[in-house]
Amino acid sequence: MTQPTRLDLAACASEPIRVPGAIQPHGWMVALGADDLQLLAYSENWRDLVGDADLPASLAALLPALLTPVQPKLRGLPDTVGPAAIGSVSVAGRRLDMIAHRSAARVFVEFEPAVPDDGLRAPLYTLVRQFVPLLQQATSVEALCALAAEEIQRLTGFGRTLVYRFDAEGHGEVLAETIEPGYESYAGHRFPASDVPAQARELYLQNRIRLIASADYVPVPLRSTVPDAAQAPLDLSFAALRSVSPVHLEYMRNMGTAASMSVSVVVRGRLWGLISCHDHAPRFVSFQTRVACEHLGQLLSLQIEAKEDNAEVADRLELRRITLDLVSQLTDSDATLQQLVREPASLLRIARAGGAAVVLDESCWMVGKTPPPPEVLRLAQWLASRIGDVFHTDRLPEAYPAAGAFAEAGCGVLAVSISKVHRHLLIWFRPEMVQTIEWAGDPRKQPVERDGQLHPRRSFATWREQVRGRSLAWRGGEVAAALELRQALVGIVLRRAEELAELAGELGRVNKELEAFSYSVSHDLRAPMRHIAGYVDLVLELEGGALSERTRRYLDHVKGAAKFAGELVDALLDFSRMGRAALKPAEVDLDGLVHDLVQQLSSEHADRRIEWHIEQPLPRLWADPVFLQMAARNLIGNAVKYTRGRDPAVIRIRGAGNDRQDGFEVADNGVGFSMKYANKLFGVFQRLHTAEEFEGSGIGLANVRRVVERHGGSVSARGEPDVGAAFTILLPRSPSTGVLSNPVPPGGKL
Amino acid sequence: MLKPILLVEDDARDLELTLVALERSQLANDVITVRDGAQALDYLLREGTYAGRTAGNPAVILLDLKLPKVNGLEVLQAVRASEALRAIPVVMLTSSHEESDVLRSYELGVNAYVVKPVDFKQFVAAIADLGIFWAVLNEPPPGSAKVQRRYE
Repeated sequence: MTQPTRLDLAACASEPIRVPGAIQPHGWMVALGADDLQLLAYSENWRDLVGDADLPASLAALLPALLTPVQPKLRGLPDTVGPAAIGSVSVAGRRLDMIAHRSAARVFVEFEPAVPDDGLRAPLYTLVRQFVPLLQQATSVEALCALAAEEIQRLTGFGRTLVYRFDAEGHGEVLAETIEPGYESYAGHRFPASDVPAQARELYLQNRIRLIASADYVPVPLRSTVPDAAQAPLDLSFAALRSVSPVHLEYMRNMGTAASMSVSVVVRGRLWGLISCHDHAPRFVSFQTRVACEHLGQLLSLQIEAKEDNAEVADRLELRRITLDLVSQLTDSDATLQQLVREPASLLRIARAGGAAVVLDESCWMVGKTPPPPEVLRLAQWLASRIGDVFHTDRLPEAYPAAGAFAEAGCGVLAVSISKVHRHLLIWFRPEMVQTIEWAGDPRKQPVERDGQLHPRRSFATWREQVRGRSLAWRGGEVAAALELRQALVGIVLRRAEELAELAGELGRVNKELEAFSYSVSHDLRAPMRHIAGYVDLVLELEGGALSERTRRYLDHVKGAAKFAGELVDALLDFSRMGRAALKPAEVDLDGLVHDLVQQLSSEHADRRIEWHIEQPLPRLWADPVFLQMAARNLIGNAVKYTRGRDPAVIRIRGAGNDRQDGFEVADNGVGFSMKYANKLFGVFQRLHTAEEFEGSGIGLANVRRVVERHGGSVSARGEPDVGAAFTILLPRSPSTGVLSNPVPPGGKL
Repeated sequence: MLKPILLVEDDARDLELTLVALERSQLANDVITVRDGAQALDYLLREGTYAGRTAGNPAVILLDLKLPKVNGLEVLQAVRASEALRAIPVVMLTSSHEESDVLRSYELGVNAYVVKPVDFKQFVAAIADLGIFWAVLNEPPPGSAKVQRRYE
C-alpha cells in the first residue's frame, strides 16, 4: 500500500483560518462593540460604496441610519451561532441584505447584494414541501444523498454537486453526484483526507455552510477603528464573508472550480460528510437560499442518523438472534465449545466471516475458509498474549507478518477469548480484499511549500490505487456480536464448571458411602462365611463317621459354597479398592514378580504337570506394584485354572510392547474361548464357562482391566476354543523414560 | 491362677472357633475371654468386675478389631498409653485386610496383624501359630506369666 508521507499538514494546520483579517469581496462588513454598538472594524471595500474620503468618518455618518432600525435585533442576538437575517437596506442605490451574528463581545453585520426575486420565493418553504416527503421515502443512505444532491443543485444552480462521506481514515468517498453537461464526474471517487485539514473539519462542525463566490477574489482587509493595535484579532468563524485560505483558493483553481459552496453533514455530533458544490463560473448564493441549503443539510443529517440507527438496530437484532441460536444449541447439548462448528452458517454469519476456528489449547476445529491448523494454532498463541476480551484487525499481516502466508484466507481476524486460564479462543477470518480505489487525484501528492508558500496538489485526474493485505473492516456491530457471544459462552463455561464441581462433590459422597459399604462388607460378610466353613468342618470331623454319604456330600457343598462366597467378597473388595486407592507407581521388576507368583502357584498345584516358558528378562514396568501384582496373579492364575485337564499344561509368559508402551503376555494351551465373546471377557461377572467346569467369581478379568486402565494402559485377549488363550497387558512407559526413579532392586519383593 | 492369654472377642461363633483352635494347640486352659473392649480394659487395669483379680499381665492379648463400646484400636491405644500395660504384646485379629486398619494398628504399636482365614483348617493353623509363638516361645516382659506346655 502506498502511504502518503505525513510531513504535510503542519503548515495548513497552523494557518489562521478563523482570523484571516479579511473578507471576500462580494459583500461588506462592520464589527461593532456588543454593548454600545460602536464601530470597531470595517472592511476596506466600503470605499467602493461611500467614497475615498475619510472612511471611518463616512461610515460613522452612514451607520446610524442603517443600524438604528435594527438595534433591538442586534442587541438580542444570541452568542456564537450562525448569522441571522435582520433586514435589507439601500446604500448608494444598491439593495443590500443585512445578516448579523454575535461572537466574542462583538456584533458582526454583513451586507450582501440582495438577489432579485428569481421565482424561488421562500426557498425554505419549497424545501419542506417537496424535499422532506422524498427524503422519507428513500430506502438507503445513498438514495438520501442522491436526493440531497439534486435538491441543492435545484436550489443553487451549481454545475456539480457531490455528497461525500468521510471514512475511518478521513478520506472522502463520493456517494452521490448531480452534474450538468461539461462537468467531470467524480462519482465513486475518493478525496484524500489531506484535502480537508483538521482545523477546517472542526470549523465545518461549527459553521455548517461556506460559500466561496469566486476563487479568483482579492481578499478585502478589515480595518480597525480602535487605535490600540493590541485589540484581539476578529474571530470570523461564523462570518459568511470570511476570507479563506489562499491554499484552498489555489486548490479550487487547480480543480477548475471558480465557485464553491459546502454544507456540513453532521451525524451524532461528528462530521459525517459534506455536500460540496462546484461551478466553473463565479456564483453567488443568496442568504435565504443558503439558509435553505443549511437546513437541507440538517434534514439530511437527521435522516442519515435515523437510517443508520435503523440499520444498526436491525443488524443487531439479527446478530442477537444468531447468538441465541448458537448458545441455545450449546446449552441443549452436553458438549463443549467445539460444538459451535456444528452450525457453520450461524457461526460465520455472526461476524460476517469467511472462516472460523474454535481453539481449545492445542486443538482446533474449523469451518469455512481458514488457514491450515498449524497456522491457526500459532496465530492463537500469538493472539493469546494480545487479547483482552476481544481483538480485531482488518490488516493482520501488518501486525503478524506470518499471516502473509495465508492472506487469501485470513487477512482480517476477529478473536474473542473464552477463558482467562486456558487458551480458549474463538477466531473469525476474513479473506484479503484487493481493493482498487479511484482517487480524485493522487493522494500521495501533498500540499507542498514552494517559494516560501504552501501549494495544494495540482492534479485531480483519476488516480487508481491497489490496496493489498487487508480484509473488509470489522464493523462495530460485528465486534459487539462476537463479544455478546463470548459473554454467553463464558456464562455457559462457568455454569458447566459449577455443575462439574457439584457432580464431583456428589461423586465424593457416593464414593465415601461405597467405601463404608465395602468396609462393612469386608468385616461382616467374611465372618459368617468363615463360620459356615468352620462349623461344617467341625461337624465333619466330629460326626463324619456317623453321617450318611449323602449328608457328607451336602455338607461338602455347603463348605464349597461358603469358600466361594468368601473369595467373591475378597475379589469384590479388591475391585472397589482399585477404584478409590491412589496409584503409587514405581519401576517394577516384572521378572521378580512373575517368579514369585509362578513359585506360589506351582506349589499350590504340585499335583499337576505344568511347563512354564518364561522369557528372560521380562521388561521393567512403570506401575503400582501392588495393583500390578494383583493383575499378574489373575492372569497367571487363570492360565493355571483353564489348563486343568491338559497334561502337560503349557504356560508362556513373555514381554510385549511398542514405541510407547511396555507389558507382557500370558498364553496357555487351555480351554480357550471363542473370539466372538472377546468383548465380554473383561466385564464384571462375565463368565464364559459354567461354574461346574471352572470355579471363579467372574470378576478376575474385570480387576485386570481396571488395574490396567487406571494406569492408562490397555489389555487385550486372543483365544480359540480348546486350543488356548493369550492375554496381553500394555502400560505407558515411565514418564522419565529410561531413568530409574524409585527403583525396585532386581528380584526384590513387592 | 494367672491366665496368660487374653482373648477379646464379641462374636460368640468366632469365640468358640478360636477356643477350639487353641484347644487343639493345648492352649485353651490358659485363655481368659472377655466380650468387649470395655471389659478388656477393666480386666487389664483390674477395675470394675475385675477389681479383685490377682496382679499380673497376660502374656499376649488377642484382640478383635471390631468390638462393641470400645473397639480394638481404642483398646490398643489405651494399652500403649498405660505405663503398666505398654509392654504387653498385642495381636490384632480381624476379618478384614482393609489397608487403613492395618496401617492404623501398626501406627498404634500392634505386634502382629492377622486376617482370619475363611478356611477352617487354615484358621486353626493360624491361631495355633499365634498362641504358640506369643504365649509359649516369646519371652514375655517381666510381670507376665509364661505358659508351660504340659504335653511336651
